[in-house]
Amino acid sequence: MRTSRLLAGLLLVLGLAALLVPSVDAQKRGGTLTIVRPTDPVSLDPNLETTAPGAWVYFNMLEGLLTLDEKMQIKPALATSYEVMSPTKVRFKLRSGVKFHDGTPFNAEAVKFTFDRALKGTPPARWASLAGSLSHAEVVDNLTVDVVTREPYGPILRTLAMYCMGIVSPTAVGKMGPDFSRAPVGTGPFKFVEWKTNTHVIIERNPDYWGDKALVDRVVFKVVPEEGARMIALQTGDADMVLFPSPAQLPALRKDAKFAVHETTGIRVVFAGLHAGMPPLDDVRVRQALLHAVDRKAILDNIMEGSAGPALGVLAPGVFGYKDMQLDRLYPFDRARAKALLAQAGFTPGPDGIMQKGGQRLSLSWLSQRGRYPKDGEITEAIQAMFKDVGVEAKVQFLEWGTVFPQLRGNPLNHHMFTLGWVTSNADADYSLYALFHSKQVPPTGWNTSRYANPRVDTLVEQARRSLNQTEREKLYGEVQDILAKEMVWIPVYTTKEIVGSRAGVKGFTMHPVEYNLALWKTWLDR
Amino acid sequence: MLTFVTRRLLLAVPVLLGVVFVVMLTIDLLPGDAVTLMLGEHATRDAVANLRAHLGLDKPFLVRYLDYVGQLLRGDLGRSFQQNRLVAAELSDAWPATIELTIAALLIAAVVGIVAGIASAVWPNSLFDGVARLFSLFGLSMPIFWTGLVFIVIFSLWLHWLPVGGTGSLTHLILPAVTLALPSVAMIARMTRSAVLDVLREDYVRTARAKGVGEVWVLGRHALRNAFIPILTLLGLQSGQLMGGAVLTETVFAWPGLGRLMVKAIFARDYVLLQGAVLVFALAFVVINLIVDLSYGLLDPRISRQG
Amino acid sequence: MDAWLRFRKNRLALIGLALVLLLVLTATLAPWLALHDPTRQSLIEKRARPGAKYLLGADEFGRDILSRVIYGSRVALLVGVVSVLIALAGGLVLGTAAGFTGGWLDTVVMRVVEILLAFPYLLLALAIVAMLGPGVLNTTLAVGIWGVPAVTRMVRGSVLALRETEYVGAARALGAPAPAVLRRHVLPNVLPGLVVYATLFMANAILLEAALSFLGLGVQPPTASWGLMVSTGRDVLLVAPHVATVPGLAIMVAVLGFNLVGDGLRDALDPRLTTTR
Repeated sequence: MRTSRLLAGLLLVLGLAALLVPSVDAQKRGGTLTIVRPTDPVSLDPNLETTAPGAWVYFNMLEGLLTLDEKMQIKPALATSYEVMSPTKVRFKLRSGVKFHDGTPFNAEAVKFTFDRALKGTPPARWASLAGSLSHAEVVDNLTVDVVTREPYGPILRTLAMYCMGIVSPTAVGKMGPDFSRAPVGTGPFKFVEWKTNTHVIIERNPDYWGDKALVDRVVFKVVPEEGARMIALQTGDADMVLFPSPAQLPALRKDAKFAVHETTGIRVVFAGLHAGMPPLDDVRVRQALLHAVDRKAILDNIMEGSAGPALGVLAPGVFGYKDMQLDRLYPFDRARAKALLAQAGFTPGPDGIMQKGGQRLSLSWLSQRGRYPKDGEITEAIQAMFKDVGVEAKVQFLEWGTVFPQLRGNPLNHHMFTLGWVTSNADADYSLYALFHSKQVPPTGWNTSRYANPRVDTLVEQARRSLNQTEREKLYGEVQDILAKEMVWIPVYTTKEIVGSRAGVKGFTMHPVEYNLALWKTWLDR
Repeated sequence: MLTFVTRRLLLAVPVLLGVVFVVMLTIDLLPGDAVTLMLGEHATRDAVANLRAHLGLDKPFLVRYLDYVGQLLRGDLGRSFQQNRLVAAELSDAWPATIELTIAALLIAAVVGIVAGIASAVWPNSLFDGVARLFSLFGLSMPIFWTGLVFIVIFSLWLHWLPVGGTGSLTHLILPAVTLALPSVAMIARMTRSAVLDVLREDYVRTARAKGVGEVWVLGRHALRNAFIPILTLLGLQSGQLMGGAVLTETVFAWPGLGRLMVKAIFARDYVLLQGAVLVFALAFVVINLIVDLSYGLLDPRISRQG
Repeated sequence: MDAWLRFRKNRLALIGLALVLLLVLTATLAPWLALHDPTRQSLIEKRARPGAKYLLGADEFGRDILSRVIYGSRVALLVGVVSVLIALAGGLVLGTAAGFTGGWLDTVVMRVVEILLAFPYLLLALAIVAMLGPGVLNTTLAVGIWGVPAVTRMVRGSVLALRETEYVGAARALGAPAPAVLRRHVLPNVLPGLVVYATLFMANAILLEAALSFLGLGVQPPTASWGLMVSTGRDVLLVAPHVATVPGLAIMVAVLGFNLVGDGLRDALDPRLTTTR
């Protein structure tokens, strides 16, 4: 009697449990995933291409020693473990039994070859500039390699986990020469099939992959430059997935059950930069007034329309060393406060409504481009109008990026303001805070376009760069951001959201905060 | 006639050399260079200097120009800076698509434009003429991306008759060709109307009519032959513009042609690639102008061979 | 004057004239005609549909489209008319010189024209910005220069044909000096077709200005220009078509007006209709 009651109770519990556990879709294998995006890659070789169009493709074909997962944690990839040998040397144990797509074995020689080719070649790889103090790799034995830096380099692990650190097959490079950049050979879950210039790139499932094999058979990356046409392609079914969907159409897409929107906060911050060396912006009160004059929420709601998130600091949340600078609390949208600060700085309203001091109108010159970063032109125009409301005149000059860029990269800069975005490529605070705010990193040496100079910040970022103690680094960067918060030389506008629109049948896809990490091996098609 | 053609083709050489010179000089005058733009925001100063030296961009202008001309004479179009790929390969990827689109658009524009223009001239200021005028001005005034996207919405999204973009079959060619042809149809139609009206009012036409010769005979024999000279000039110009100005159409319909390639090259200051493409266009213009000039002579034997 | 009487009788030409005058008046009286400040943004009301408050709707910044179209007529008029005049002037001079004189002058001019035709226009525009700086006047120059090779070839073609006609042959045989022959026999026959071409070219000119504005030539924000309005409305064409379509229609109406006037002028000045041969 007791046993049957027990059994019944057990069955009941199991039954209830079965009802409560959500049913998991049975993953289907096969099919072709068609993705539309705005441009063709320049190359599929990280040596020649570090921008998104190429990275999206080769990220699925090439693998590095380490990788960054969606939670921005460092995970092993082609390396299984590591050991810090000295402040400038890290030893990696490599995964065994891994083969390149051409059948040749993956080993320490291949790692050394990849690094030498990139760092010591003529000319050096595009990604060499992103690698900081990385020097070279040394073969210890067939499956052990030492990575050496020129000086102690705190961000070393995150640097090795970057999307462009994929290991290439030495045999293939030797055989193909410059053609390798059009048909790379790596160890990843997908391998190259064909590239029709300005039309499409096709990759297919690697059945001999060492890890979880891909679920779709093929992926076709199509080039559709016109945003409107991309969205239509998604609606007609010509495309399964759209990269860079139109922000204005996102709300409709979210509501429609036939489509899905995949998004996550990214690691790029777009901002209006202030030239802190050019009067009147050398007065911190004027800069703070400008911050109060901008209604960032209105921009996020009406210009970005949910396609971007708020910029709470100069770094993005996924970046190591990020601290919430609480900009919304420190610099809320408050026109009265803006005007009060300007008054403190000695400005009074002039006859035409524009502030003036000593007969000089508060007129700022703003150099901007259109379309380099999402909605950069629109943001510039919106802020120009917001400035006018507090009596600041901004003379905007829109020029083409090829004309703007050399000016921003040169010295001196003859404009008060500029519109830029900065992606922390290796997701480590050093990448941004050192290049952007160290006083010796003024262009053309570095990217301190704002000409910000604070000796304490200099010391802090130098120290943090050289330390391998990650806890210590985090503390140092925290202090840097505290100081920056008081002396803002940027008007951060938004943090990117990595957004992809797809048809509802595209399952298993997760968006990665790093815009280049378009991982497709877990994606499957429910058709 | 053969000497005329040979002479013109020989004259093409200074034109080609001249175009290359002007293009290279202009790119040099523009701010920014291929290396800084290629390496982008994250490049170090050394990387930029290194690559510049490697590509030979630090040499003075005349040296680079003469080097390029020397290469050209050996039949080598060089390698593009951005991709380190043979310019000849890049061009051969894009050239067929451009030819296909240009010819299709030119045929549509010429046929529709000339027919509509003649009809408008035969019945000037009639209802047909009025509707034709409005329709063609609409096609001329609305930007290409507007007409292109509207066509895609109607024929791809709503009717599912035609694909959204890309190349492949005849169905892929229809929308981009029509879209690209539309502004030209307007031009050709209105100019044809004007030219035919001109001729219809000529003395000899009036005389022929007075003699009782049939209307159609009058049109065919006298009017059109002389009206054709400005129409032909226009066709020559339009075909050039269709070739070089197809960027917007190529963008909207994802058509992998030379227009987009050239624009990308200009923005990237990749002058080696740009020059390759421009040389192709220059040669095409020389040939087109030659054909038009030859036709002047054929249509009106009184015009002796010129230029 | 005969020509004016003929023009007045042409109903379509009068409609065209009315449209052109409307354009000129709108451009001149813009500050009094516009209901809203064309630069006043109201982000909450972005892309508002045409309605009571914004008669023709609002753009992506919530600015009144009607007011911006009214102010934009200034740039349209300037760029549309002046650039066409530049192209006509340049083309007439070069085309007549080449076609009428012939010989080495014709050869040289035509080779230069070929170089210009093959030269990528975008590059030319960027070069003008680099050398002269951005601004509406420089844009007008850039657009005008674009038209010169085309007009040159059109004019040359006509001149070549006319050179061989009986009137010209007879006049020259009688010893008339070249400039007089040009003025009396050649040009009056070249002009009518040219006038029609010019009015059509105006549409091209305004759309070119649109593309150039996007690159930094032309007006800078927040000034309105029809071309720029059309360009920026491209991204939202599928969601809010009125943002790009309304200024596009404005372009069409302006071009229609000039085209009707052009055709009317052409008919009015046509020497074939004046002679009593």
